[in-house]
Parts: sequence; structure tokens; C-alpha cells
Amino acid sequence: MDNNLSHNQPLSGRVIKQKARLSGVQKRSIKNFFQALLFLSPALILFILFVFIPLFRSFEISAYITDPIGRLAKFVGFQNYRRLFETPDFINSLKRTLIFVLYTVPTTILISLGLAVLGDLRLKGISFFRMVFSVSIAISGATASLMFLYIYHPTVGVNYLLSLVGVHNMTWLVSHKTALMSVSLTAVWLQIGLNTVILLAAMQTIPEELYESAMIDGANGWNKFVHITLPMLSSTFFFLLVVDILAAFQTFTPIHIMTHGGPLQSTNLLVYSIYREFYFNGKFGFAAAQSIMLFFVMLILTILQFVFVERKVYYE
Amino acid sequence: MKKMDFDRHLLSKLGQYLILIIAAIIILFPIWSAFNISMMSDTEMGAYPPIQFPTGIRLENVKRALTQAPLGRYLFNSVVQSTLVMLGQLITSSLAAYAFAFIDFKWRNIFFLLFLSTMMIPWEATIIPNYLFVQKLGWTDTFQGLAVPFMATGFGTFLLRQFFLKIPHELKDAATIDGCSHSRFLLTIVLPLARPALGTLAVYSFLQTYNQYLWPLLVTNNPSMRTVQIGIALLQDEERLMINIIMAGVIFIQIPTLTLFVVSNRQLIRGLTAGAVKG
Amino acid sequence: MKNRVFILLSLLMIFSMVLSACVTATQAPVEEPETEPPVVEEPEEEEEEAEPMPTLAPPAEEEEVVKIDFWHSMGGDLGGIAIPEMANNFNASQTQCYVEPIYQGSYDDALNKLRASLQTGETPAVMQLYDIGTRLMVDLQVITPVQEFIDRDSYDVSDLEPNVLAYYTVEGQQASMPFNTSTPMLYYNKDMFEAAGLDPENPPRTFDEIAEAARLLTLKDDAGNVTVTGISMSIYGWFFEQLLAVSGGYYVNNGNGRDALATEATFNSPEGVAILEWWKGMYDEGLMGDYGRVNADVRTAFYAEQTAMFVDSTAVLRGAMDTVAGKFEIGTAYLPRPNEEAFDTSGTIIGGGSLWIISDSPPEQQDCAWEFIKFQASPDQQAYWHTMSGYFPIRETAYEEPLAVEWRDKYPQFATAVNQLHLAPNNRVTQGGLIGVFPTARQTIESAIEEVLAGVATPQEALDKAALTVTQAIEEYNISMGLTE
Repeated sequence: MDNNLSHNQPLSGRVIKQKARLSGVQKRSIKNFFQALLFLSPALILFILFVFIPLFRSFEISAYITDPIGRLAKFVGFQNYRRLFETPDFINSLKRTLIFVLYTVPTTILISLGLAVLGDLRLKGISFFRMVFSVSIAISGATASLMFLYIYHPTVGVNYLLSLVGVHNMTWLVSHKTALMSVSLTAVWLQIGLNTVILLAAMQTIPEELYESAMIDGANGWNKFVHITLPMLSSTFFFLLVVDILAAFQTFTPIHIMTHGGPLQSTNLLVYSIYREFYFNGKFGFAAAQSIMLFFVMLILTILQFVFVERKVYYE
Repeated sequence: MKKMDFDRHLLSKLGQYLILIIAAIIILFPIWSAFNISMMSDTEMGAYPPIQFPTGIRLENVKRALTQAPLGRYLFNSVVQSTLVMLGQLITSSLAAYAFAFIDFKWRNIFFLLFLSTMMIPWEATIIPNYLFVQKLGWTDTFQGLAVPFMATGFGTFLLRQFFLKIPHELKDAATIDGCSHSRFLLTIVLPLARPALGTLAVYSFLQTYNQYLWPLLVTNNPSMRTVQIGIALLQDEERLMINIIMAGVIFIQIPTLTLFVVSNRQLIRGLTAGAVKG
Repeated sequence: MKNRVFILLSLLMIFSMVLSACVTATQAPVEEPETEPPVVEEPEEEEEEAEPMPTLAPPAEEEEVVKIDFWHSMGGDLGGIAIPEMANNFNASQTQCYVEPIYQGSYDDALNKLRASLQTGETPAVMQLYDIGTRLMVDLQVITPVQEFIDRDSYDVSDLEPNVLAYYTVEGQQASMPFNTSTPMLYYNKDMFEAAGLDPENPPRTFDEIAEAARLLTLKDDAGNVTVTGISMSIYGWFFEQLLAVSGGYYVNNGNGRDALATEATFNSPEGVAILEWWKGMYDEGLMGDYGRVNADVRTAFYAEQTAMFVDSTAVLRGAMDTVAGKFEIGTAYLPRPNEEAFDTSGTIIGGGSLWIISDSPPEQQDCAWEFIKFQASPDQQAYWHTMSGYFPIRETAYEEPLAVEWRDKYPQFATAVNQLHLAPNNRVTQGGLIGVFPTARQTIESAIEEVLAGVATPQEALDKAALTVTQAIEEYNISMGLTE
């Protein structure tokens, strides 16, 4: 049945052009489609109601200037979008966000890889360490931000411990030169748990035989790691890359609790600046335009990743 | 010869433990410092040099936190909300991921992109319209208002889809030949194999929901329906920031999540070590 | 066959949704004491929940109980204990009205929730909002000015603090009733003063004196690292506003926006620049601790004796005394002025929040809101609130209440705050700026201060830039509100 030549041609064309009795494959394709739709429908319905419709509503709002209560006041078309590129704030936010992504995503994945490798060691009590390495999953962003806020205190936090070993006056959150890095550290800490667990789970599914046959071939630990572990993890890396980048773009809580976008806008990431526009300035239309902009940035980035990076992924 | 090998072996083992311990200390440091602060008395907060180890277990800090904000009640609400969302997400994501991984259908990639795109929509774009909608449904101050909007997730679908894709085609083909339907295949073969991923998603979705502040604040007014992050905000009085009380409250509300984490961790590990897919 | 499973799964989902609905139904909002932890010192909380009033079906001849929501943004002890206590007292004192206080997050959270609820009709009858939201609330036209109720009842306001009332007077009308009021003070470590050879009973009063004192108080170790800074001020827009006021400067034009609608920011005046130059001078000399925008961090440093002086609200005193607990003696002084003459010509602005009556509510709810406002303005309630919070009572006679007298014995340093309040003349400068974009303005100033301290701009440049931004924001605001003719 699978050898039917017809399945090489686009099905839509065949369905429309040929009014003849549908062949087995075509019947199955339509059946497949509706079956798939059935499986997708719970999620899809929820998305339509609570994600896509509000998104369209936001798109609508972005074409207006709103009154301070939030009601639509004046239709301005794309003016809000044009203003975006004229305000240095938005460009700054975009830049800072990209830098933030660069700070956090590779760091997170690399550190998590290291922790996963450590957690994969066949030692007694290793399950305890695995638990410790993934503990940040259980800690909410607000909690972690509060914890780090205290750690970053200029004199009584970790700076005190550092002063004991001769390192003085780390400026952490107070200086525009170090604030973004400090926030990045918190974000990385938060993400490590999940990344490590996912990598560990993936590492467990790599068949032992691969390693055994490599050992027989005389491969050492490093070889095994580079030539077996890493490629087998590539689909996981891809997943983490996409997810971590999206999470980095949406980082809000640490900024909200620790720096409020400062100092000197150095931590004014996009999602936070949208919030400010929304909350303090009450400019809902303008904020909506920024949200839509942010959405498209993330969408394009993700598409690019799927187009260019996924082909390098090795699926079994 | 043998002794040297044995020593080297032992040394490398010790070395490994050492690295593990150092890594663990670094990772646990923030949690430790929060716990440390939560056990400080009011005057100890102003001590210099700052105190590094608790001088006593001061449970009254937790009590004080609970009198300033009804954290017990809020905790219950958060747990219920998070559990509902977790269950919802597990169900909707499993179903959707199954379709993406095992059913070849038209426009599959477009639908998948559609699902992914939900991860790219900033919450500011949806929160107010959602609030207005939920209010119209009469769902304010209810658990469904708190939970239903979040029961579907692009992340969860993506996570499970990646995992499902690694299940070999042969299994599916064999099942089809055996006359196994999609749902049967999903329930009896795919889901059990995917336990680690399901566990991860469960914990993750629980936590994400637990973390919410703005949505519960908007959607609830009745103090008996509010959730933990609002409680933490309630502990913060700008003029009289009692960090020890705040940290005590924070640790208190993290207890269910830490518990869930520890418990599910064992399950995860069992899944991890037992579930290697052969060949 | 496959559909059976799918149906099962959908049923499970529906079931969990139904379950949540059932669970909600059984959590009737009234009796919660069991789920509360058994805390004996919190009868207020339980009393609140167990109040049977709304569910008691009143007999036909009695008026129906009018239930009103009171939105506030007080956390900690205030929101957890003091406010529920005051609400309980009110509810117990009469039978027509029943007030339920609801915490709505920070002032900004509450304001945004108000905006959203204006579209759904779920507005409170009475709401607390910050001082800087005054113009906005009036312009939103969603409030009933309390002046209307004052006139209707011929309510005697002569006993209320004039400076405090004046802040919330817009276009001749009392828009809202002051609720939590504070001014900024200088806090200092008396022990450190003595050690440095300064007179602990004669704290510095002017900018120059502060800098002098800071020089003597800053300590370094052998390696030249600063171990104790003489003074610390967090980067807080409010401090700048206050320093500007005591220097006699106007924040915005048209009499600070009170003679006529403000159209332009004027804080980049010589007075404003002088403040930042003083600030930056001390910072560059290494006399100031750098704690960014976090007031709490400055306080922590002070408690840990890492800094000898700091500026903060009068409401901080109680927490400071409790935490320091005798480790060293805390002194309080007036907010520093540019020179001695300024003490006579100008003064501080009051800060904090006030209570608004939302016009969206039915008349009987607004009446109850007014009743509640009057109740909390009474001397004994004010004394209670004052002693619990460290905010000023709005009524002078409240100081005579036994609670207040007792409190002053315990915290004598508070006398400085009271004196400072009464020292300030009541003029446009001390009444503070009145603009609808204050939160934005404050943030802009904070950015300007950061720029100056980081050396990225001079005080004049930074303030000019900030003034431009704020002026633009004011213009847009006026247009969007339809205020400009």
C-alpha cells in the first residue's frame, strides 16, 4: 500500500483535481488530518480562546492611542510602530535583551551539560547530587530574585565573604556595568535546574551498546563524549536552545524585583520596558505595539533556528 | 602495579566527589542564604559582620509571616491552581505532541509553528483582554478563572514532541500492524516510555503557575482565593522591610514545591535509570 | 475504540474543571478561621472572616447592610494587622455599613487594577492611592471629591493638618482625604558621631555641614578601602523632590501645577542643579555608599553600621529602632537644606497616600465610604494608625491620645518629624508638584541621578534632558486627557 506512486504528489492537488473515487492513500490522509485535529483540539481551543484572540485584540489596540483608563481613544494606524524605532529606549531595550540572551543561553546550556555529565557518573549517592543540581526547578523566579537581591547587597551580602578573600566592592546591581551580568547570573541559576534534568533524561536514553562498541574500538572518555554523547544529544540541545532563547526574551521577574530596568537602563529588557509602558506610563497602545514587535522578533528567531539549525539535529 | 591502579582509581573517585560537592555548594548557596536570613532575629539582621549560620531555629518568624499574610490559605489556593494547570497541560500536551510525532497530516509543520508561537507572545499582550473575558464568563474569584487559561502550553507540546520523536518508528509500525489504535498506542506504549519527560513537564508547569503574581491579582479579590506570590508581596512593607520575615514566608511557600520536587525527583530518577530505550 | 479513550481524557479534563467549581462553591467566603494557623495574637484576621454581617438577613424594617470594598496597598504589619483592625472597629461601631479591606498589591498594581475594573464595573467604593497619583485620579474623572461630602455634612476640617490637606486639594476642592502621611528625615548614628568628634545633639543642617560631617565619619582601613561611609542616600525621586522643595524650587510651572495646569517641568533650575552637585560631590569624594535605588539596602547598611547617616521617610523610624535595638543610638534630624535661610522660607512636602471615593459606585456605597473615611480620621483611630505605622496623624488632637503619648515616649526621635512638618510654611512649593505623569517623572529623575553619579552627564545636562522628557510627557498627558483648550 505504501508503494502507491500517487503519494509522491501533493495531496491537495489530487483531492481538488480528481473527482474520481478517492484512493486508499487519500482517504487515509484526510482521515489522518481529522484524527490529528482531534488530538490537537483541546490545546487548540484553549489557545484560540486565551492566546490568539487576545493577541488579535492587542494588535488592534496597538493601532490606537488609548486613554489613561485603557479605552481606545484615537486610531493612529502604524504610528505607534514608527515611533518605536524613533525612541532610543526601544532600541536600547532590544540591544540589552540580545546581550542578555548571549550572556544567559550559552552559559546555561554549557553549565547544565557539565552538571548533567557530573550527574551521570556512576557513583554511590549520585541521586542526591542529581537532585541538588536540578533544585532550581522548584524555586520560583520571585523567590530566587529575592534571594539574590540579598546576596548582591553591596556590603552585607556575598560581598562580605568576598572581602575576606581580598575581593572588594563588587558593584553587582548598583553599577550599569555589572547589573546585567548580575541579573544574568540569577537567570542562569534559575534555568540550570530544568536544563540539567532534560539533558540527564536525554543522556539516559543513549544506548549503552554505542559506548561499548566505541570502547572496543579504543575510544577514550573524551572521544566517546564528543563523538557519541554530543551528537545523540543534538535534538535535546536544539530543544534547549529554542526554549532557553524564548525564556530569555521573556525574562521579567528578576528585573522587576532586583533592578527595575536600571541602572541607566542597562537592564531594561524588552518585556520589562513593555511592562513599564503599560503600567507606569499607561500607554496601552504603545505597549501593545511593542509586544507585537517582540512577538515577531521571537517568531523570526525561532523560524530561523528551525530552518537552519534543526537540519543539523540527528534524530534516530 | 595493582596498588597504583587502585590509588589512582580512588583518587579519581575522590576527585569526582570533590567536584560534585563544590558544585552542590555553589548551587545551594542562594537557598542556604535565604534559609539563614529566615532564621535571624530582628536584631541579627543588622549585625556586622553578617551572620553566616543560624544561631537558632526561629519558627516564630514563620508564624509572624503567617499573621501578616494568610499564607496557609494562599498556599492551598496556589497548590490547587497549580495542580489543575499541571493536569491540564499534561493532557493537552500529550495529545498534541502525539499528533505531531506520530500522525503524518497536512500542514503539520504549520500547526506546530502555531503551537510554538504561543511561547513567543509576551504576557502583556494577553493579560488584560483575558481578564476582561474571564470576568465576562463570571470566572473571577474561581479556580477555573485561575487555571483554565493556562491549561494548554506550547512548551509542553514541544518538549513531549521532541521526546516522542525519539521513539523508534518500528514500534509504531509494529503497533499499527497489530491493529493498535492511536489512543491505545499513546496510552499503553508512548506515555509509559515518556515518563521522564512527563515528569519534567509536570514539575515545570506546576512551578510556572505557582510563580504567577499579576494574573491572580487581577482575577481574584476575595482574600480566600488569593495565591502565594500575592502573599509574599503582602509581606513587603516598603517602610519596614523585615527581610527575615519575608524570607521565612518565602521558604514557607516553597515547601510544597520543594516537596513535589523531591518526591517527583525519585520518580524521575527511576524513570531515568530504568527507561533507556534499547536499540 | 480510540474515541473511547479520547472521550475519557476529555471527561477527565471536564471533571477537573467541574471539581474546581465545586471546590469553589464549598469555600464560602465567610468562615475561614480553621484554615488559618492557630495564631492567638491575630483575632482581627479571624474576626474579619467570621463577621456574619453580610450573610445575616436583616429584618425588614432595618436598612440593608451596605457592603463596600476598600482597596489598599499596605503590606507587612499595616496591611495584615492595622488595617483589618480599623475595619473591624468601623464595622462594630455602626450597622449600616460593612467595609472589607482588600490588598491590591503595590500602588501601581492597584491603579492598574482600577483601570481594568472600570471596564468591568467591579470597582471599590473607597481606594487608597499614592500621593503622586492625585492629579491622575482627578483627571480620570472616576472619583467623587470628598469636598462634596465635607460640604454636605459641614464636616469640621479645622483640626486637620493644613499642610497635609493642601497637598490633596485640587482646584480649590479637597479631592481626597489624607491617610498615610510622611516626610523625609535625616537619620544618623549618634555613637559614630561621638567617635568622630561631632556633637550628637547638634546634627548637621545644611548641605555643607552634611558634607563636612560625612568627611569626618567616613572611615578607611589601612589599605585605603572605605569601610564606613559617612552618608548614604538611595537614588529615589522622592528625595530629589523633597530637597528641591526645601531649596525653594518648583518642580513644574504654574505654581507647581496648582495655580493652573502644569505644562512644563522646571526642576532643572539652579536649585535642582545645586542638589545634584552636592550629591555628586560627596559621591566622588567617596563619602557616599552606593546602594542604587534600593532604600532597604541603605537601611540594612545603616543597621550594620556601614554608613553613618541616611535619608528616608519618617515611617522608617519604628523599624529602625526595633532592628537596632540599642546597639547604637539613633538620632533624627531635619532634612538638610542648602543654607540656614531655607529653614524659614521653605519646607518639606508631605508624602504617602490618601483615600479616594470612586464615583462609579452607587450612592449608598459612596456614603458608606465617606462614613469610613470620617471614622478613620477620628482622633483615636488616627492615634492607633499613627502608632502602628509611624505615619503622621492627620489630626493634631490625635497627638494627645494616650496611645500617641506613650508612643512618643518610646520613640522620642519622632518629635523631629512632627516639628519638621509644622516648621514648613504652607505655600505652592511645599504643597508639591501636581502632575498626572508623576510616576514617569520620578523614574526620569532617578535615571538622571544615575547618569550624574556615573559621570555620564553633568547635573545641568542630566536635569535638562530629564526636564525635556517630563515636559513632553506632561504635554501628551494634557492632550490625551483633553485638558488643553
